[in-house]
Amino acid sequence: MTPDFDPQDFGGGAPLPHAEMQELLGVYALDACEPDVAAMVEAHIETCLRCAVEVGQHHEVAGLLANSGGASPARLWDGIAERLGGTSEQSWDRLAARLEASEPSPEALPVETEEVDGPVGPSAPIVPLPMDRRRRWATAGASMVAAAAVVVAVSFGVETHDLQGKVAALEAAPPMSAMAQAAATQAGAERFSLASTTASGDITTPATVTLTASGTGFVMNDAADGLPALPKDRTYQLWGEVGGRTVSLGLLGPDPTIVPFSVAGSATPVAYAITDEVSGGVVHSVHAPVAMAAVRKI
Amino acid sequence: MDVEQASDANLVVAVGRWFEPALAEVYRRHGGAVHALARRILRSDSPAEEVTQEVFLDLWRHPEKFDAQRGTLRSFLLARTHGKSVDVVRAEEARRKREERTVRETATAGYDIEHEVWDMAVAAQVKDALASLPDDQRQPIELAYFGGRTYREVAVLLDEPEGTIKSRIRAGLGHLRLDMIARGVEPAGAGQ
Repeated sequence: MTPDFDPQDFGGGAPLPHAEMQELLGVYALDACEPDVAAMVEAHIETCLRCAVEVGQHHEVAGLLANSGGASPARLWDGIAERLGGTSEQSWDRLAARLEASEPSPEALPVETEEVDGPVGPSAPIVPLPMDRRRRWATAGASMVAAAAVVVAVSFGVETHDLQGKVAALEAAPPMSAMAQAAATQAGAERFSLASTTASGDITTPATVTLTASGTGFVMNDAADGLPALPKDRTYQLWGEVGGRTVSLGLLGPDPTIVPFSVAGSATPVAYAITDEVSGGVVHSVHAPVAMAAVRKI
Repeated sequence: MDVEQASDANLVVAVGRWFEPALAEVYRRHGGAVHALARRILRSDSPAEEVTQEVFLDLWRHPEKFDAQRGTLRSFLLARTHGKSVDVVRAEEARRKREERTVRETATAGYDIEHEVWDMAVAAQVKDALASLPDDQRQPIELAYFGGRTYREVAVLLDEPEGTIKSRIRAGLGHLRLDMIARGVEPAGAGQ
């Protein structure tokens, strides 16, 4: 039986000003619209998180529809390798040496790799969620936006065949920890500790969330007493309660340290939770949170 | 760097650093799926091989276009493959129309998904999910995705309003996603 699905779930329930654009997302994801329409959708999803997430979901589904491939034809690789051009062991060595001498770009790093540099500002009080809210996290019937909702753009600052530009971009970007620290000191930034209950009933605070006024946030897993590393086929997933709905704010990876996310363009979450999910993330979590916090202004 | 142990995301970072073995590993993991999709849409070896090569060369030239936060590498590569394949189909279609003034095709011409043999377990689940969709959602998706049709062409073929086709494709994709999740298939887990 086909599960119920309401296209409006992606947009927050009520019809939105960009509802017409939303209707195009499916055909856009299947390359089934004309170039001018596709360009319009592309411009829209550059600035609309929800629609960008939905397109990503449609691409994932389409990818599964196409997933009938066998082994990669070896002869084609030879053709690809011949056409790579402009690269040699020497050029790689040169670039690698320069990259190793600089801090890697946070955009170029996988989300789960960065060290915590210590506390990043005063912490708001810990407010563990009541049990009924815990159940809501686990059973919410409301639509959850995509598993991969973090919208920090991945951009290496690369110009085609421009190694100098690529290296310069990598060198110029500050490390993730510095970005998180800078965010925590911004005017209007808030920090929340996510609470977890141990088997013995003790409350711990394995992770914190810092959210800036612009909607950019960072999840920081405590280096000493944080969330334990998960197996490779699992991931932590961050959720936010926004406008009465539970939405995915992004995947944190199996062993997160500092992970950026964004809620720009939507209301500020009134609660956060982290769940343990399969590696690709889920749309609806059925798991109890491993850590969570309600947001209380002080 | 041990490319065989690296995640897809790390491989793309390495590709951004012009590390050819990383691209070779990406190809080893996903080249088969890319080629199969191109072959399925184009129904011819030569253009399918050309599209396959272009997809991986594009990744080499523009690794920054892959956003790990918005989906898996495999879905990214397959989306690029689909777009390029559809471009070829449409260019060929336009040429053929100019030359032959062909008669209008029927909605079911050109492919028959029911007769496809998918040898992967996940493909069987996906096939079941697709089959469980209502016909009015499944047909437009098949025509658009595997047939390379625009939604306007699909609307003509199925004799439905364009808006209806748009809605059905979107709703159908949403249904498929939820159905696959219910069947234990991870829509975002195709890659390593």
